[in-house]
Amino acid sequence: MTYRVVHQTVYDYDSEVSASYGEAHLQPRDTPCQQTYQSTVVIDPLPEHLRERRDFFGNRATHFTVLQPHTRLTVTSTSLVDIKRRDLTEAVDDLPWERARDLLATDTSADAIEARQYTLDSTIVPSSAAATGFAAPSFEPGRPLVDALTDLAGRLYRTFEFAPGATTVSTPVDEVLARRAGVCQDFAHLTIAGLRGLGLATRYVSGYLETLPPPGRARLVGADVSHAWVSVFVPQVGWIDLDPTNDQFANERYVTVAWGRDYSDVPPLKGVIFTESERQALEVTVDVVEIAEDDPVLAGVAR
Amino acid sequence: MLSDLYGRRELLSSGVLPPEVVFAHDGFIREADQIRLPTRHQLSHAAFDLGRDAAGDWVVISDRTQAPSGMGYAHENRVVVSRVLPDLYRDADVVRLAPFFRELRATLQRVAPDTDGPASIVVLTPGPRSETAFEHGYLASYLGYPLVQGADLRVRDGRVWMRTLGRLEPVHVILRRVDAAWCDPLELRPDSHLGVPGLLEACRVGNVSVVNSLGSGVIENPALLPFLPQLCRTLLDEDLLLPSVETHWCGDPAGLRRVLDGLDHLVVKPLAHGQRSATVATWTLTSDQRQELRARIEARPHAWVGQEALPLGQAPTLAGGVLEPRRTVLRTYAVAKEQGYVLMPGGLTRVAPDPDDALITNQRGAWSKDTWVLAREPERLTGFWLQGSDAADVVKPVPVMPSRAAENLFWLSRYAERAEGLVRQLRATADRITEFAPGTNPAGTATVRVLLRALTHTTATYPGFVDESAADQLAHPEVEMRALLVDDTRPGTVAHSVRHLLDAAAEVRDQLSNDTWLVIGHLDQDLAEVDHTALPTAVTGALGRVLQAMLALSGLSAESMVRDDGWQFMEAGRRIERALQLCGLLHATVTERRDAATDSLVLESALTACESIITYRRRYRSRAQIETALDLLLLDTGNPRSLVFQVDRLLAAAAAIPDDSERDHDRATLDALLAELAPLAHLVDTNALARVDDNGQLTALRHHLERCTHLLSRVAEELDLVHFTRQLPQRAVVSRHPSAGPQGRMVRT
Repeated sequence: MTYRVVHQTVYDYDSEVSASYGEAHLQPRDTPCQQTYQSTVVIDPLPEHLRERRDFFGNRATHFTVLQPHTRLTVTSTSLVDIKRRDLTEAVDDLPWERARDLLATDTSADAIEARQYTLDSTIVPSSAAATGFAAPSFEPGRPLVDALTDLAGRLYRTFEFAPGATTVSTPVDEVLARRAGVCQDFAHLTIAGLRGLGLATRYVSGYLETLPPPGRARLVGADVSHAWVSVFVPQVGWIDLDPTNDQFANERYVTVAWGRDYSDVPPLKGVIFTESERQALEVTVDVVEIAEDDPVLAGVAR
Repeated sequence: MLSDLYGRRELLSSGVLPPEVVFAHDGFIREADQIRLPTRHQLSHAAFDLGRDAAGDWVVISDRTQAPSGMGYAHENRVVVSRVLPDLYRDADVVRLAPFFRELRATLQRVAPDTDGPASIVVLTPGPRSETAFEHGYLASYLGYPLVQGADLRVRDGRVWMRTLGRLEPVHVILRRVDAAWCDPLELRPDSHLGVPGLLEACRVGNVSVVNSLGSGVIENPALLPFLPQLCRTLLDEDLLLPSVETHWCGDPAGLRRVLDGLDHLVVKPLAHGQRSATVATWTLTSDQRQELRARIEARPHAWVGQEALPLGQAPTLAGGVLEPRRTVLRTYAVAKEQGYVLMPGGLTRVAPDPDDALITNQRGAWSKDTWVLAREPERLTGFWLQGSDAADVVKPVPVMPSRAAENLFWLSRYAERAEGLVRQLRATADRITEFAPGTNPAGTATVRVLLRALTHTTATYPGFVDESAADQLAHPEVEMRALLVDDTRPGTVAHSVRHLLDAAAEVRDQLSNDTWLVIGHLDQDLAEVDHTALPTAVTGALGRVLQAMLALSGLSAESMVRDDGWQFMEAGRRIERALQLCGLLHATVTERRDAATDSLVLESALTACESIITYRRRYRSRAQIETALDLLLLDTGNPRSLVFQVDRLLAAAAAIPDDSERDHDRATLDALLAELAPLAHLVDTNALARVDDNGQLTALRHHLERCTHLLSRVAEELDLVHFTRQLPQRAVVSRHPSAGPQGRMVRT
């Protein structure tokens, strides 16, 4: 599948901002099953500093500084991404989940060494006995990992309510668990806390999911959203992406932008501004559109 | 280690270090990955805590690499001890510390990115409320670098700049005393107001060098200690010269067993730097506490270490007037050279204040001792500046100062002048109260009332003596007068001015000499100690002490401070404040005609409060007259207490302050105000001002004083707007997942 993703964020401030320092994780990285043909970030007003780098996790991060006074800041990223997701669950086969855990300690490959940081507490996902307790019933001794993960995602999907507004960006995992409600970020964090508690290396993935219109309705432009899910490391196989919010393993319709230990490593946008303004209106539109092989957009694109 | 951990991380991939040791430590700053200083050594300076084991051998207890504190204290200790014990110090051939600090300066120069001219270096402090603020100021002024706070710096163009008066000055090297996590609110803690947004990016681009590098705190990790012997062999192909205290990392199964079996004699520490206060001497635990600790360790073993407790050497220590043995830890310092490191020949020996203290904590409450290294032969005298200086170390012709420092100097002198003016006024009033205490002299009683009311008016501490119901206060003025001296919660009082004076001084510690601190350091305590009941003697005593301090301060300012930008602001502040005090006092005392005896007494007191009574008596031998008093107080350019004197000095200071090109607020209004103030002060007809109208009022004088007061206040406001950078409040902006709306869950098809 090839997608064109347009992600636009508009901040409106109720008084002038004299300086705005920002970091964006908006350009999809390349992964074993994903290739980004093109990706740009455009900022308005014109930034006096704009630079892309690879962050610690290998993600594409964009730094920008806007120093002209402004009351509106617009950040638009446009990307062309091709996805050929291989179903790794077959490669994992019926590997018992404890093997995935135990192999991690003995696997000396660079991937495994790097993956070990994802078993540890992270900035906003500390270890949680409650989260581990929630995940544990899916992980009976000897159960195949893929089975256990499927079961966990299913339980979460059935027992939690998707409820925007029920949580904020900083709601702790234990509270999400107590409320049985949240959004994709919360469900990803809860799953991460549970799996890490069991010793599995689990990371947070930021990206997009192509949404399909309800049957019989037309597709709405800008109705898509940025999305988040998790990825679990299986030694000698790789990372398996699981979307607990939608109760499924990631497929070709998932566009990966960046990953880290938790949300705080890869927010699409974060910034520091200097202003008297205490309020900001934030409007985000995301558009994920499938591009046909013969679409003129792809003409002349290095692939 | 720093090169590797923020570079290729071969120590992890080769298995020398378990990845958890590094990844679980909060001193490992992922955002600093791949940032390098342009020198061979990535660790520019470090501190080491050393103690003695049971055999008396030295053992390293911990390494301090984040922002090692204490070398300033070590130097201050040396200065104090050499003054207190000059003979012993001279005869002992103590190795001097100055060359070490010279080495530190050389390191800071060397670490600078390529620049056209000499590197500009600053010391970054969290501010005067930091527990080691004294040292930051001490170090900055000893090394000769500006002391700055995060808000004094900004990133522009991928470079770091300091907001100075009127312009942005480039900064190439930052000696930081702010922990890394607080240094860049954009990428690290978003709630930090101590840092500079964009600093990490400026480091990455290579335009600034932060010392020690952001991320250097990873070396402080106690879980590294068990791995140091192997690390030393791997990295340097050498054995360690000094062992570390025996440490067991719980992430290793054998280490975990050792620690869980040793919960009655080990010191247990979490890896995380932020939880250092949680260091536990396990032998002090109750069995419940021990169980709880065991459970916490078992839940996350990799996050804990256990260490054998060192007996520590003891040193005779003066405690309660006698020498007693106390446990000691020696903190010593190293600074990078081009190749290798130089050790400080000495250090800061910290002493447990209590004989039972098992741990000597990092809190600055611990006592300290100077630590001497004796020379094998008498040393050549080596001062800080002696011996070859760096060719690149060219002194800048214009000393650079953050605009925040100028602002604080301006306010420092305003508060000093305000305190001094009120003290003089209180004393003149107290003298009259004593003089007319019997209450039998009607003119005396009336004078006291006028002076008391004037106190309330000039300090704006209403209702005070001017309320309808002030009869009680006027009859028993002691309580309110005492409050005007010591109540630091009421704006306008002496104590309030002193407190703000000290706050302002703390902000510019590096700009003030040690003598200045001797003069003002204890003023607030002096005032707090004024006895509640003993009036008026305690008050008189306190008035004297404050006055002495303020006089010494203005003496230092006049005779010991270079006439740089900072001095001009102090001068402007002093002149504005003294002029405002004078106008306020005259307005509140002599703008109303009363009976001749009262007028004469009041005028005399006003002249006394204005420090002009002796001159007046010498010059005008007859009785006190308003016309001649106004000549002396408003118009006499030779009287350092006159209004015209203040205005002339203010104009001179304002003219000497650099005119900057980049400011947001232009100077036209300020210039217009000054242009109006000058003739108003010079071209005064004192006879016209002294005229009394039909209602017994000196209306012309009153209007004149009000006009002057207005202009002076406006000048102060404009000076502020023109020269002192006002940064808008810093706020963090975040997004979240999903980006918006309720569509986050896929619609199934």
